[in-house]
Amino acid sequence: MPEKPRKRSIFDVMGEYVEVFDALADELLEATFPEGPSWNIETCCLQALSNVFVTSREVVITADMPNIEPETVKVEAVDETVIQITAKMKKKVRFADLGIYHRQGEFSALRCQDRIQVPFDSEKMKISFTGGILEVRFPRKS
Amino acid sequence: MSEAVKIVEKQIIPSEATMIVGLPDVGLVGLIATSYIITELNLEEIAYMDSDLLPPVMVLHQGLPRAPLRFYGNQKFIAVISELAVPAPAIYTIMRKIVDWGQAKKVKRIISMGGIPVENRQAITEPKVFGSASNQELLDGLTKSGVKIMNEGYMVGPQALSMRYSINNNVPSIAILAQSFYNYPDPQAAAIVLKELSKIFDVNVDVSKLLEKGEEIRLKARDIMKRTQEEMSRMKKSQEYDMPLYV
Repeated sequence: MPEKPRKRSIFDVMGEYVEVFDALADELLEATFPEGPSWNIETCCLQALSNVFVTSREVVITADMPNIEPETVKVEAVDETVIQITAKMKKKVRFADLGIYHRQGEFSALRCQDRIQVPFDSEKMKISFTGGILEVRFPRKS
Repeated sequence: MSEAVKIVEKQIIPSEATMIVGLPDVGLVGLIATSYIITELNLEEIAYMDSDLLPPVMVLHQGLPRAPLRFYGNQKFIAVISELAVPAPAIYTIMRKIVDWGQAKKVKRIISMGGIPVENRQAITEPKVFGSASNQELLDGLTKSGVKIMNEGYMVGPQALSMRYSINNNVPSIAILAQSFYNYPDPQAAAIVLKELSKIFDVNVDVSKLLEKGEEIRLKARDIMKRTQEEMSRMKKSQEYDMPLYV
């Protein structure tokens, strides 16, 4: 006999809300305190520099992605307004590699998140990678 | 009242030297190029800037505190770099002091290296270099050396002020600028500027190591690039994209 789908408990629902709330809080913190570091030890990511250009037809995101493996580039819509780009680095970078010994951490990826101010079609993206610069184009939604 | 900006000399400053200025700016081209010259020519720290107009920052290198804005030199060159994005409101006073100090030290000329922001930079495999100079004679010299002249356009920020105060003080001044990214560190543009510099002056710098270390530099330079971008916005740096009107 097929198993009946389990009814979601109040704790599951609350758990989901807490996750959403955490994500929102993180986003708010990032927006309020832009002074934060350009690295994240938990996610092992270095923040990539990026730009967003909006034309009449397209949204174009460029990101400076040195030392990455182009085939590992992942572009995903976090939600309807935020795009996240991540890529694995060819070689892991430790603080010690940069001559910094008072911090510990190892970074294996570059990541950036960009907020897009206009509606866009995240399903129809075009990606190119030239000279270490990643370019992602999305058509605008009317 | 104490001086707003003070240059503290650590040793005897050579006279008749060529001063190279590479403060953080578009693509960090000038800063990367000047830092590379300092390393390649093994220049020693000869002075540093002390100013309340700069943020309360010291940089640690090999455990020792250093002022972020420093002067390096030998008998032929004085190189000025800053490991700190110079705050936009302070740029006038800082640049005026650098040029006045250079004049007092009888520098032969002041060269600023930097970038010209171009929107399609990633599509350009070999960025072009353009020059500008404080007088016609120097401009002719640049042309003779094969440097293309930036005929019309705006200069904004440290290079503009270096040129302005050099003209005021009658110090010969040249700007060598390569097409570059606006807010991504651009070691390739820095290498091309250095190649051009070696055509004009007797400075032979092998840029191969700079190009080899390009990716590493781009990773390391993200933070200073971000802070420089904030200051460039305050300086209205995007005016460099504008077309001047002079009928």
